[in-house]
Amino acid sequence: MQFSKIIGLSALALAATVTSAAALTVEEVKQQGFIRAATANEVPYSYMQPDGTSAGIGPDVANQVLKTMGIEEVNWTVTPFGTLIPGLKAKRYDFVAAEQNISPERCKQVAFTEPNSSYGEGLLVKKGNPKKLTTYADIAKDPSLKVAVVSGANNVDFLRAVGVKDDQIVFIQANADAIPTVQSRVDAYAATELTVSELAKDQAQVEQVSPFTDPVVNDQPVRNYGGFAFRPEDKELRDAFNAALIEFRKTDDYKAILGKYGLSEQSIAAAAEKNVADLCAGK
Amino acid sequence: MMYGYEWDTTTWLTYTISILPIILIGLTVTLKAAAAGFAVALVLGLVFALLRRSRLKVISWTTAVVVEFLRDTPLLVQLFFLYYVLPNFGIVLPAFLTGAIALGLQYAAYTSEVYRGGIEAVHRGQWEAATALNLTRMQTYRDIIIPQAVPRIVPAMGNYMVAMIKETPVLSVITVLEMMGLANMIGERTFEYLVPLTLVGLIFLLLTLICSAGLHRLQKALPKAGIPMR
Amino acid sequence: MDWGSYLPMILKGAGVTMTITLASIVVGTLLAFFFGILRVEGGRVLSTIALCYTELFRGTSLLVQLFWFYYALPLVGLSFEPITTGILVLAAHAGGYGAEIVRGALSSVSTQQLEAARALNFNRFQTLFRISLPQAIVEMMPAFGNLAIETLKLSSLVSLISIADLTFTAQSIRNLTLDSASIYSVTLICYFAMSLVLMIAIRIIEHFVRRGDVFPRSAHS
Repeated sequence: MQFSKIIGLSALALAATVTSAAALTVEEVKQQGFIRAATANEVPYSYMQPDGTSAGIGPDVANQVLKTMGIEEVNWTVTPFGTLIPGLKAKRYDFVAAEQNISPERCKQVAFTEPNSSYGEGLLVKKGNPKKLTTYADIAKDPSLKVAVVSGANNVDFLRAVGVKDDQIVFIQANADAIPTVQSRVDAYAATELTVSELAKDQAQVEQVSPFTDPVVNDQPVRNYGGFAFRPEDKELRDAFNAALIEFRKTDDYKAILGKYGLSEQSIAAAAEKNVADLCAGK
Repeated sequence: MMYGYEWDTTTWLTYTISILPIILIGLTVTLKAAAAGFAVALVLGLVFALLRRSRLKVISWTTAVVVEFLRDTPLLVQLFFLYYVLPNFGIVLPAFLTGAIALGLQYAAYTSEVYRGGIEAVHRGQWEAATALNLTRMQTYRDIIIPQAVPRIVPAMGNYMVAMIKETPVLSVITVLEMMGLANMIGERTFEYLVPLTLVGLIFLLLTLICSAGLHRLQKALPKAGIPMR
Repeated sequence: MDWGSYLPMILKGAGVTMTITLASIVVGTLLAFFFGILRVEGGRVLSTIALCYTELFRGTSLLVQLFWFYYALPLVGLSFEPITTGILVLAAHAGGYGAEIVRGALSSVSTQQLEAARALNFNRFQTLFRISLPQAIVEMMPAFGNLAIETLKLSSLVSLISIADLTFTAQSIRNLTLDSASIYSVTLICYFAMSLVLMIAIRIIEHFVRRGDVFPRSAHS
């Protein structure tokens, strides 16, 4: 008899922590006073600082955009890159601010906003670039070379597209693991240009490959467009955020934020040249 | 796609069948890692057990502290330590080997206790008879004590081996592509986690049941009196 | 490495680890007793259900269980907060092993005691709660003690589902400072210290349980 009571009470307590099933609206967010966001700790796109505040291109823009919508508080969750979208779908947070590349596969799962930033690829190698790598295709030329990628990131698709074999690829969990991995276990780390330049900053053992040529896939040099991801069912929320984002992109504050993190004038302008519908369709 | 196998997420059945080859490749890595780790644990555990019984207090006490430390700290953190810190000292071991050693170290702490229990369970009279026959310590261990200890320790060792198989998923954090790591990667690409993870869970359950049944058989087949070493 | 700013973070992480461990131990113990008693005293059906529970949670890997409940289950609509998921899975896992311990200890109560209880006209419940359990609990303590330490170590795995425990904090600090050696050493020492504290607590509980033991321990030990 006591057991069933305990179970009944525990079930109630658990039910209280189970998240709701309905779509999230802007009104609801304003009522609860905060919105939940996710980051994968990738400097400079989206990361948390030691004091617990968010930083990076995605969070800084998101915070400003949300302010214009009347939402002041953002609760951040740090989660491995590959789990950003699964966590969003599991309602662990309400949007992803990691500047993930807007790709057709991802578009099938989440609703992206218009692009927020645009960036190319990069390679991190040991100091002195002993294997003389200048682009992803160089890794394919020598089957004994190994390259690391973050699990879930689509750099692996570009690597495979230029001919790198599966047994040359090592999957790491977090961006920060790249430095020790490149130092002693792999010959290169493939990520976006800014990620690599941030990692290489002030490091004696590793460096960014420069000059670097973006991988050519389908006769086009690869260019990534990073956006914010929402759940498809939270259409109203995503549309409201998107509209505010488009407005914010016209301001000087937007250019200042992106410039602060190292994006060039052309990169900033490039983000506005593509729209999310085309990117999702693969154009 | 992975290892050349494409996955097909149209229905649960096609999804399961299409990822089965990939998961089975992961299974071989899982089993190899567990086997390697268990080999390390068996050898190292015996070393620890014998050192603990040393007459020199310094050795036995230090071993006791080391064993306790390995026993009371998480495998995950030990794994990170071996994988990231050793290279700083110039020792760069491949991820698989690092994982096997980490598993071996953790379980050596357990197996050393099993060895100790098994050795201590051998009747005092055996030791006395060995002394009476002028056998050296080495000979006593090798020909008298350990053969009699083996049947007693097989059940516990077997249980630890099964437990180790179930701890191999933790190796995925240091890039070892074992069964669960692969399931996660498939989940990350297809965004459908339910099928891969359930499949892996069921395979582990199956493994456990098979190994437990096998252990049971082995226990019955072992002679109670002991196994001669030569 | 600037210890001053990182020490509070580490302590906070250790606090989370301790909370999760203790919560899992408490819930796990409840589950262990529930299913263990069910195994011994329940009829065919209940006993089989309890068997399925223990085999399921003992026979699959904890990490697989964690990921399954965290990533797979929400896709069919059932989603808990990360910490709740972590505690529930850890507790279910500990409960699986605990149920076996309870079952073993209950089964080892001397049949003389059970016969005496029957002679005194005790019903099932009275026999269980007044005769069997008090004696069994003393038998269970060492194994439960080990289980508690195991739960503390396994709690480090919740860092892989983004719970800010000690291991997660250590990883975050390491990602910021890139100094693996010191942070992992400190983390290992922290866990070791917590284990020792837990062991002392268990010894105290064991002592308390033994002193409260009304029945003289039978000759089998």
